[in-house]
Amino acid sequence: MSVCRPARCLFSKASSLPKSAPSAPHPRRPFHTTTSRSGRRRRPHYPSIKAEDLALLNQAAEVQYPKYDTSETALLAKKYTPAQIAAIKAAESALDPRDIITQGQTRTDPWKLPYEDDMSEVDPVTDHAEKLTAADIPGPKTFREANEVESDEAITLIASENMAKLYPNGVPDDMTDKEKQHLEDAMHAALTQASLDPRASYTSKNPKAMEALADPRHSTILPDLPRLENRMAKQTRRLSTEEQEDPRQKRLLQQMSWDKDKLKFLRIKTLVSHGVTNQTRMGKINSMYFLTIAGNENGLLGVGEGKSTEPEEGRKQSVMAAIRNMRPIPRYEGRTIYGDLEKKVGATKVQLFSRPPGFGLRVQHLIFELARAAGLHDLSARTPRSRNKMNVIKATWEALCNQRLPDEIARGRGKKLVDVRKVYYGGSVH
Amino acid sequence: MSLVNLAHVCSHLQNASKARLGLTSIPVSKMHVNLMLGLQREGFLSSVTLGGPTPPKPFLLQTQPDPESLENMARKLEKEPWNAYPVDGQSPLGKEQIYEVNVPENPAKRRLWLGLKYWNNEPVLKQMKLVSKPTRRIWLTSEDLGRIARTRESSYVKGLTHPGECMFVTTDRGILEARDCVERRIGGMALCRVW
Repeated sequence: MSVCRPARCLFSKASSLPKSAPSAPHPRRPFHTTTSRSGRRRRPHYPSIKAEDLALLNQAAEVQYPKYDTSETALLAKKYTPAQIAAIKAAESALDPRDIITQGQTRTDPWKLPYEDDMSEVDPVTDHAEKLTAADIPGPKTFREANEVESDEAITLIASENMAKLYPNGVPDDMTDKEKQHLEDAMHAALTQASLDPRASYTSKNPKAMEALADPRHSTILPDLPRLENRMAKQTRRLSTEEQEDPRQKRLLQQMSWDKDKLKFLRIKTLVSHGVTNQTRMGKINSMYFLTIAGNENGLLGVGEGKSTEPEEGRKQSVMAAIRNMRPIPRYEGRTIYGDLEKKVGATKVQLFSRPPGFGLRVQHLIFELARAAGLHDLSARTPRSRNKMNVIKATWEALCNQRLPDEIARGRGKKLVDVRKVYYGGSVH
Repeated sequence: MSLVNLAHVCSHLQNASKARLGLTSIPVSKMHVNLMLGLQREGFLSSVTLGGPTPPKPFLLQTQPDPESLENMARKLEKEPWNAYPVDGQSPLGKEQIYEVNVPENPAKRRLWLGLKYWNNEPVLKQMKLVSKPTRRIWLTSEDLGRIARTRESSYVKGLTHPGECMFVTTDRGILEARDCVERRIGGMALCRVW
């Protein structure tokens, strides 16, 4: 039993106790292609419990979260001061274990810890590796450089240790040529490793200090991460050479001198797709048209078009074009546009209005997607004339790209312009 | 005070800046002159010159003093800096060069020549629109103007929401920018908005 158990309240998972499943006579119908943000639920986050279930619940609470017994309190007393133990007890009594079972949920808020843990074990992936200092070495800590005899002795010792690890049952007598070759390689490796070991070049009279030389906990270099050895990890693990690489994507990355990981952080969405027909003397040729937007949600936005007889091909074309066309969008305080914008493409007119903080994106769905991909948070818009999807997207994109910035206006007019909001709030606007 | 002529001026300036003209002319009236001087003060225009049917000579094409005499002048000023100030109306540095614009006697032949400005291949003055119309004048109080300058709508006049937008108001103290009116707490008739 861990002394860190008081933390259970903070990291407890939702219980496996049967919750009344929310009956859904009318499943929510998606009216948009956009995935809806999970709105505030009308019902409470936990089911109401009947009296007969309460007995079950009490039982479950006692089993899952038992009271401290004397051995545990003794352990606690070793680790914590009396004041801390009092605080732990107060916190334990403040939280009813039944509440934890019924209402305990995994956190979904952005401030949750990036992993679930009760901190009882050191996880080599998420936690810092254990460190020892010179104070942990008992006895004298004096070293000197080993002479040749000592060095040879140490190398033999370390190499034989390493070989013993590789062949725990001893070297078998009858070996095939391949196994012999393997053994030779292993011996060579063990010798190299031993000669690189600090115990081979330094020596000390204190055996504990010699041990500390080989101990990775004393090393300034962090130990390697452990290899995950479960079946799932093995199946999903791929070498970079095994992966199929899209030649178009490769060329795009080369052109933009980007890393492949950068593509992961782009918000890419195909907003328009429809069939188009080319009438030739041979007959009609049907193909698919795609219009895709790409943005990094931090001031970059691109729109791309693609067309092909193969739908997947056309879509990929449009995605690559969108990424390649990404242009910077100037944003006022990183949330809205500089003043009102208006742009006309064909018969489509788009008017964009800047809005105060917290206003949100009160715009039609296409402009919403563009604003979200560009990282705009406060915006309203009107499309008073034609609402042709492609033209709305193009007009919005061009309006956002070609904003007149206050600096440029000031330079053009030879006047000094001051952002009053920034001055008033002393620059502490986001 | 006809707003019809002002409407023509507004569209003419928009067209001229779309055509990337460097110099253009408008008919002369007291209101036009004052409004154009206001535009120049706000930095929309580079020059406002009264002239005839032909454009005035640009500054760089006017006769300049030759560099040798300028050098002499600089040397003299360095030795005797008090010569920079004229004594009894006589400049000790020699005669000042003044380029005289030929303004016709006949007022009907006079034109107001405006220098337009461009920055980064974009006109500085892109849009110019009437607020009051010939058939519907709009008078605004300083409170109205304050709200409009803070991007809110007031008295059926939309706020100044475009970046760097200005509105000109004719008051009993002359033609002023809306923000100047708010500062001085005077109202007046809204003329036009520029951005």
